[in-house]
Amino acid sequence: MTETATRVKSVLREHAEQQYANELAELERVDKKQKPPSWKLSPWAVSKYILGGKLENGFEIAPKYIGKERIVEIAIATLATDRALLLLGVPGTAKTWLSEHLAAAISGDSTMIVQGTAGTPEEAIRYGWNYAKLLAEGPSLQALVPSPVMRAMSEGKIARIEELTRIPAEVQDTLITILSEKTLPIPELNEEVQANKGFNVIATANDRDRGVNDLSSALKRRFNTIVLPVPDSIEEEVDIVTRRVESIGRALELPAEAPALEEIRRVVTIFRELRNGITEDGKTKIKSPTGTMSTAEAISVITSGMALASHFGDGKMIARDIAAGINGAVVKDPIQDKIVFKEYLETVIKERDGWKDIYRSCREMS
Amino acid sequence: MPKAETDDVQVFGIRHHGPGSARSVLAALKELKPDCILVEGPPEADSLVAFVEREDMKPPVALLIYSPDNPKQAVYYPFAQFSPEWQAIRYGVNNYIPVKFMDLPMTNSMALEEQRRKEIFELIEKTLKEEDDDDDENHNDESEADEIVKTSESFHPESKDKMPSISKDPLSWLARAANVSDGERWWEQMVEQRRDTKDLFAALNEAMSGLRESLKDEPADKHDADEPYREAHMRQTIRQARKDGYKNIAVICGAWHTPALSNMPPAAEDAKLLKGLPKTKVVATWIPWTHSRLSYESGYGAGIVSPGWYQHLWDHDEKIVEKWMSKVARFLRDKDLDASSAHIIETVRLAETLAAMRGHSAAGLSELNEATKAVLCFGDDTPLKLIYKELIIGDRLGEVPAETQGTPLAKDLEAQQKSLRMKAETGEKILDLDLRKDIDRGRSHLLHRLSLLGIKWGIIEKSKRKSGTFHEVWNLRWEPEFSIALIEASVWGRTVLEACEAKAKDQADKDPSLQDLTELLDQVLLADLTNSIRYVMEQVKSVSATASDISHLMHALMPLAQIARYGNVRKTDVETVSEVIASMVARICAGLPAYCSALNDDAAQLVFESIIQVNSAISLLNEQDQLNLWYECLQKLLLDANMHGLISGRAARLLLDAKVITTDEIKRYFGLALSLAQEPGRAASFAEGFLQGSGLVLIHDVALLEIVDSWVSGLGEEQFKQILPLMRRTFSSFTPPERRQIGERIKQGQVVARKQEKSLDINHERGSLVLPTVALLLGLSLEGE
Repeated sequence: MTETATRVKSVLREHAEQQYANELAELERVDKKQKPPSWKLSPWAVSKYILGGKLENGFEIAPKYIGKERIVEIAIATLATDRALLLLGVPGTAKTWLSEHLAAAISGDSTMIVQGTAGTPEEAIRYGWNYAKLLAEGPSLQALVPSPVMRAMSEGKIARIEELTRIPAEVQDTLITILSEKTLPIPELNEEVQANKGFNVIATANDRDRGVNDLSSALKRRFNTIVLPVPDSIEEEVDIVTRRVESIGRALELPAEAPALEEIRRVVTIFRELRNGITEDGKTKIKSPTGTMSTAEAISVITSGMALASHFGDGKMIARDIAAGINGAVVKDPIQDKIVFKEYLETVIKERDGWKDIYRSCREMS
Repeated sequence: MPKAETDDVQVFGIRHHGPGSARSVLAALKELKPDCILVEGPPEADSLVAFVEREDMKPPVALLIYSPDNPKQAVYYPFAQFSPEWQAIRYGVNNYIPVKFMDLPMTNSMALEEQRRKEIFELIEKTLKEEDDDDDENHNDESEADEIVKTSESFHPESKDKMPSISKDPLSWLARAANVSDGERWWEQMVEQRRDTKDLFAALNEAMSGLRESLKDEPADKHDADEPYREAHMRQTIRQARKDGYKNIAVICGAWHTPALSNMPPAAEDAKLLKGLPKTKVVATWIPWTHSRLSYESGYGAGIVSPGWYQHLWDHDEKIVEKWMSKVARFLRDKDLDASSAHIIETVRLAETLAAMRGHSAAGLSELNEATKAVLCFGDDTPLKLIYKELIIGDRLGEVPAETQGTPLAKDLEAQQKSLRMKAETGEKILDLDLRKDIDRGRSHLLHRLSLLGIKWGIIEKSKRKSGTFHEVWNLRWEPEFSIALIEASVWGRTVLEACEAKAKDQADKDPSLQDLTELLDQVLLADLTNSIRYVMEQVKSVSATASDISHLMHALMPLAQIARYGNVRKTDVETVSEVIASMVARICAGLPAYCSALNDDAAQLVFESIIQVNSAISLLNEQDQLNLWYECLQKLLLDANMHGLISGRAARLLLDAKVITTDEIKRYFGLALSLAQEPGRAASFAEGFLQGSGLVLIHDVALLEIVDSWVSGLGEEQFKQILPLMRRTFSSFTPPERRQIGERIKQGQVVARKQEKSLDINHERGSLVLPTVALLLGLSLEGE
């Protein structure tokens, strides 16, 4: 890891603590408030780093997370009480982003990370063995390959676990001892690694995706859970989608012209309404489909619409190009979601002024 | 403690409904041992003070001051157990110390309000007139008039500004100065949670003086127009008490008023100000109140949002956070949610860390809520909503002694009984109402309204309802306990109508099932609660939107359709109903095909009946859009090969009746359904679904009869035995002549058919003789005459 830190700036993406090193240094310099053991900054300074703002000496801190201040405060307070933090939310709600910056601000190191997948083994959370050494020298600490969690424990830093619910349930439960006893036993050596002060875990998980392994209640109890909300206003969401679509479109070199803001707004509206179960004007309730209807999916609906328009149309995205994508995003369960979508089409979209084209295209699809 | 000009008066500034204030006031009173207590409140209620010690008086209660001539004009002064005023009054009554209210008498302030209202109306009229002279564009006038009303609303107690005027909500301004989001939070931290109350009153006095100083910069129309009068009267009351020989007077009033009462101007000024104020007749009484209503704006200004939490603060002296969390955990366990002691510990730790991070000395309600959500609820909002409803508001209903004077609600009922000429008699009496008459319609509305309030004065006779939609037969009987029920119902409002509207809205809010809601809607329509109809409708709309059970929707449709179609008999507004129906029809049509898959026989029978109902509802409404959707849906039911026969059969029949599909097509479907390849059970149920209720179609269409006939004849013995009961059941639903004709046709084959057709030969000459009479009956004029 130390190698990465010293490497020159040709990397594609820098870690948070590298990219914002000067902000962190400045905060550390002015921070006079009480710090929890092994924390680089006080909780106040951490929240300043995340939320941004001007310091008393005029130094400008860029906001990292745009959203509710309270959420960030609860997250930091949780870590200060040495309870583990679980960030829940649909894709695209900045879970990983927030966890990275929290780790960077608190431990100055956001790299103690375990990526959760269906194939994440116990070794990724506890420790593995260097088999060559194990065979040559027998079991010893030198033959042991520590996991990021184990290293975070001994260094008193924050360990991050991404997509916790993707990890098989029995592997997840390895965390129970670590979180409650703050120790990691190594029965092979009759030893243990005890966590130093400052150690904690930030896990992120997707709460509406399918095919996830729900946390056991024993593990759930050891986390404080914070649900990161989807963007508050349609303006905020349209803004996020527009910017992402532009960058993706450029990366894929789609010849289609950039979609009109109006079209994006319509897609975002449909996604928001189905996700929230209520129309944007707050007047009509609707059922929500089983899918997540995340901002990320809205983005992909628009990019695929652009692709359709450029390869099969005249390059200008029209209702028909996005209808298929919307239908695919909404109807995840072939029976229930179809009903939900049809109801939505008939009771909401149909009546809306200037939405006839979308109504018709979607109706053809379903 | 702030001293008034002499040592014999102590002013205690409090926050209405603040448990911390209540505690410190009580402690201060015990130390001071006053010989007279003056409380901010209407002097008309002085005689009611003694009630507070009664066993059957349980807070929350409210003092209600109203004008007997116009019960709508009324003011509430609510008291909870933790209200400082309540505690001060109780202390006085318990220790035989005279307690007096000292606010401006309601008789004056109501008259003032009335006067002001008149002025505003005059102003509007005047402006409108001027506008008329200047300009002929009428629509402009209206918007300007609106504007005037809007600006003048700041006089009105119910107006809601973004940032309230200083005098209205001084706490918000103090909180703003302290950089805290809202006034309630700030007050909670600074005062309610403080256990050490030394110098509190002095500090408050100082803060309020500062605020009042800055008030001078506020535009004049933002001031509470009554305030100078009110404070003058308070001072006059203090002077009077002094004159009466009291040496040690305790004054309990809103913190806002303390500076005005501590520095007394010359008495003559106040006397001059109060001279010649208008008066109106008022009556005071106690009524029961509820915690949730404490949050309303009232005679004591803005309400509080967390009465349950305040009750908790009042009930417990120490370990408030821990005790609150145990309460929450217990509550969650009752709801079968996981909440262990370890959870409580972690929640308390998190709440306290959060408080420390935010620079507070103790965790407040918002920290506790946030911690509860993160630790106990796993980030989920739903349990938190329950906690909010049951603990933070923690609704409880107060009680008042039965002999408290009549409420405005009772007065209003009396007036209505008089004008509708209905006496409250304990004997039974039958009342036959003709709803086409105004007075009878009024009576019906009143009876329906009372029964909505739980006062079942009249019970409607169901059996006689057949005599027509404009007739209602009621069985009247007045029970003595209705007077108590009336007192209880006065929580809801000051007039019968107002109380009903409030109660209907409350019922609609308690998220009941769709069925309850349609029943409520029916009641609301019968009671003619024009303002609630829309509200209940909205509720029906939103519940039906999320209802996953199509059968509920189908059941709810027919009553709604009837309301939409016939509601006008009662002269009620039904436009909104049609909107809801349109969305319900769309939902039914979208969900029905999926709902009907994999039905067993019993379930199919139920759906079968619902489909018939829905069909008649939709035909009744006769909206082309809805009909199209419905026929599309029926076609899906018909074409789905896995559909229960009963359903497909009925779908075919309904489509045929509606002439959506032709007879030829029907023959094809019928033939397919009854072909030998079909499982006989399904074929028989298809026939049942198609034919049930009427066999006419078989008489008129020989081809269909042939299909049935050849199908039955072609069945093997076993299969025949299997379908026999089904077919028997179907045919037994036909009328005997139909059965006879069908039987004859089958017996004689085509011959009968031809004969039958022959007998249909019409003698036009003879037939035309009847036409004039028929025309007369139908009110038509015959052409050519």
